[in-house]
Amino acid sequence: MPVDAEKEITKLYRALHSAQDEIGKTFYRWRQVAVEFAGADTNPQDVALRAAEVFGKDIGKSILPRMNWLKGEEGFMMILGKALAGLWNTDGGQATAEKGENPGEVFIKCSRDPWPSWAKQFGVSMEEVALCRERMYQAVLEDVSVFMNIPLKIELQKAISRGQGETVMRLYKAE
Amino acid sequence: MAKTLFEWDYSEYPGAKSYPHLFTPIEVGNLFVPNRIKYAATEENLNGLDGFITDSGVEYMRQRARGVVGGLCFMQGVYMDEAGKGQGYVGQAAAWDDKFIPGLARIADAIHGEKAIAGFQLMDCGRVGAVEVESGHGPSTVPQRLRIFKPMYEMTPAEVKEMIQQHVDAARRGVEAGFDVMEISGIVGYLISNFISSYTNRRTDEYGGDIRGRMQAVVEIIQGVKEVCGPDIPVGIRLCSEELLDDVRGNTPEESMETYKMAEEAGADYISCTLGWQESIYPVISRDIPMGNWVHLAKRAKEHVKIPIQMAYRMFKPGLPNEKIGANELDFWEICRSMIADPLMPKKVAEGREDEIRHCVACNLCLARLFRDAPMTCYINPVCAHEANPEFADPPAAEEEKEIIIAGAGPAGLECAYTAARRGHEVHVYDKRDVIGGTLNEAKNAPYGDDELWTCIEYQQTMCKKAGVTFHLGTEVTADLIEEEMPDSVVLATGPAYSKIESAAGDSAKLVNLLDVMNGQAAVGEKVVVWGNRKPGIGCALHLAQQGKKVTLVGKDKTAGFDVNPSFKWRYVLYMRQNGIVTYNDVDIEEVNDEGIVVKSYDGYRWPVKCDTIVAAQREPNESLKKVVQSEGIELFVIGDALIPRNLSSAIHDGYRIGMRI
Repeated sequence: MPVDAEKEITKLYRALHSAQDEIGKTFYRWRQVAVEFAGADTNPQDVALRAAEVFGKDIGKSILPRMNWLKGEEGFMMILGKALAGLWNTDGGQATAEKGENPGEVFIKCSRDPWPSWAKQFGVSMEEVALCRERMYQAVLEDVSVFMNIPLKIELQKAISRGQGETVMRLYKAE
Repeated sequence: MAKTLFEWDYSEYPGAKSYPHLFTPIEVGNLFVPNRIKYAATEENLNGLDGFITDSGVEYMRQRARGVVGGLCFMQGVYMDEAGKGQGYVGQAAAWDDKFIPGLARIADAIHGEKAIAGFQLMDCGRVGAVEVESGHGPSTVPQRLRIFKPMYEMTPAEVKEMIQQHVDAARRGVEAGFDVMEISGIVGYLISNFISSYTNRRTDEYGGDIRGRMQAVVEIIQGVKEVCGPDIPVGIRLCSEELLDDVRGNTPEESMETYKMAEEAGADYISCTLGWQESIYPVISRDIPMGNWVHLAKRAKEHVKIPIQMAYRMFKPGLPNEKIGANELDFWEICRSMIADPLMPKKVAEGREDEIRHCVACNLCLARLFRDAPMTCYINPVCAHEANPEFADPPAAEEEKEIIIAGAGPAGLECAYTAARRGHEVHVYDKRDVIGGTLNEAKNAPYGDDELWTCIEYQQTMCKKAGVTFHLGTEVTADLIEEEMPDSVVLATGPAYSKIESAAGDSAKLVNLLDVMNGQAAVGEKVVVWGNRKPGIGCALHLAQQGKKVTLVGKDKTAGFDVNPSFKWRYVLYMRQNGIVTYNDVDIEEVNDEGIVVKSYDGYRWPVKCDTIVAAQREPNESLKKVVQSEGIELFVIGDALIPRNLSSAIHDGYRIGMRI
């Protein structure tokens, strides 16, 4: 039976996006559980930020084997920036890493992000989505900084709600 | 006047004439060593989980001591802290208390019983330690690169002092146990190397900073250990000559040579020259690294220090170390894996029995097992780690002599043949080929060092000859032959059958067999699909890719190289990527057509792969003669790939186990 390329690609495309959709929703389902267990006195955003931190810490351990100084500081920062952009893409976003004007500066730009839409379905604020992404990346960089003995920072510079426009994060070496 | 422990005269040994420099004496500190051979300290996970020495550990060492024919024989490194932060292996020997001395003395006695020099090694595993506890200790809190290892925490200055004292105390226990040489392990990511490396030592106190500061703890250990050892017990240290950690800003080679000089200044009597860490991204000792690739580092070390330099690392045969020692570029031939594969290897060299050596094939299975909390084993030596079991290590004569037909002269059949023949059986080996070796005749043609696998067949051929095995090459075992000969036992070691692929396109898609491709008898196009993603398929894919073909590897296993041990598998994954081989795992071939094939994934996705040649490397059990033999009421054994297609190791181990049981 000949392969119907359109049919096969459509099947794969749907499966991929269904999986991404479930990953996003699962995060918010677990957020609900954690908020319930944390009790009424806890700010739900603190719970979500803590989760982002745990995620980031674990992801940081996964990327350590790929850290490589052989291309020097500029090369290293770009590899790291691409790893962070790639992580966003795996989560369903459309992100790229671009070299900044200052030495060792990399901008991670996301032009399309499904997470705000998922958050809205669970009544979660857009602000929390942006802060969670920032916190997760900060946690990723904690181990990387110690491992490479370089103080690395990342900060959210521009956050557009509902996945429209462009979210920008700046990765740089702290003085 | 140097102290002599045992008198050795090699004048009657043929090997001493062929390799005179290996059998030339040398003084190490104040100790006279009659030759240049050393069995390097190697973990084997054979001891009790409480760190006490076991019978298995003693017998393992006794064999290696016999092998060094009077040279240096080191027991595995001991951990020295009660908390177990320095313990890197579940079966690692301990020396943190005097209660361990009697057990350690058993090892020293076993080594002395073979008139060899007993070496004791102090080894805090540091960054790769804490195997039984939640966290390890090190100079600084640097995250682990590999998840398999435990988190590290920075030692306080007091804890550093305590660690230094633990080395000194353990050395004293080694002396009391009767050891003759003391060695400090500072290699591959263990604690001493953690202190030395700029990658893992970020301290700003007296034990950190520049290379002199990072060596301070090591210097204090050497000085302390020297003091308890006294003038007659030499103290050596294993040190990295190159860490191979450039990618994480480790030490430079110049810094490493500084550490050699500082170790000598501190009183070290010799240095064992090592390289690489377990975290290095470069391979050091796997089969794809050419023999002798690193020996130039010993020469460089000798240019920096005056004390003897020892080295191992891909020197499996005596010629090269003999030459380098003769040229004063090396002082000792250190041996590790080669004596796991054949504990008597240097003894056989000395006795002129090199053809009886079972050579290591540098697969690293032994090391992979240790890191997975399993006892030592060897890919090609079935007896390894069974030395304490005499019936296994040296199977007794058969109670009843039998006539045995072995169908297949591959590694499984040959191993079974000489093992059974040595026990008194009359063994006839048949093979439809004109040559022995089975599918290894083709497997050895794969790139990246696979030609070394053939050493296994050379060894087995010698052993079969000595055991009186009769060969019938060019003769296929058939039902008629079995009925005619009516042996007492039949062993089917015919190798695997290869899975058939049905082609809907007649001859348009070219189906060829793996073996025909590997021995150059099949014409292969430019776009090739290799069907079967285990080692034979990988070897074939690399073989073809190196000829410039566009190769796609397709197979049912979830990952390619399921049958390759993890310590070597990463090499193949890298080489396949470097050679542009596309891999589809966990898939089946649904269809063969004019264009190539249609692949179907486990979850139903289908896609076309264009090719002009399909190589069948997917294997199945081969029990074609099973019913014939059973119907005659003849005792039957099926071994190797004929039983279940696996790897060379399984073939050899199957062969040995059946050979000792028939």
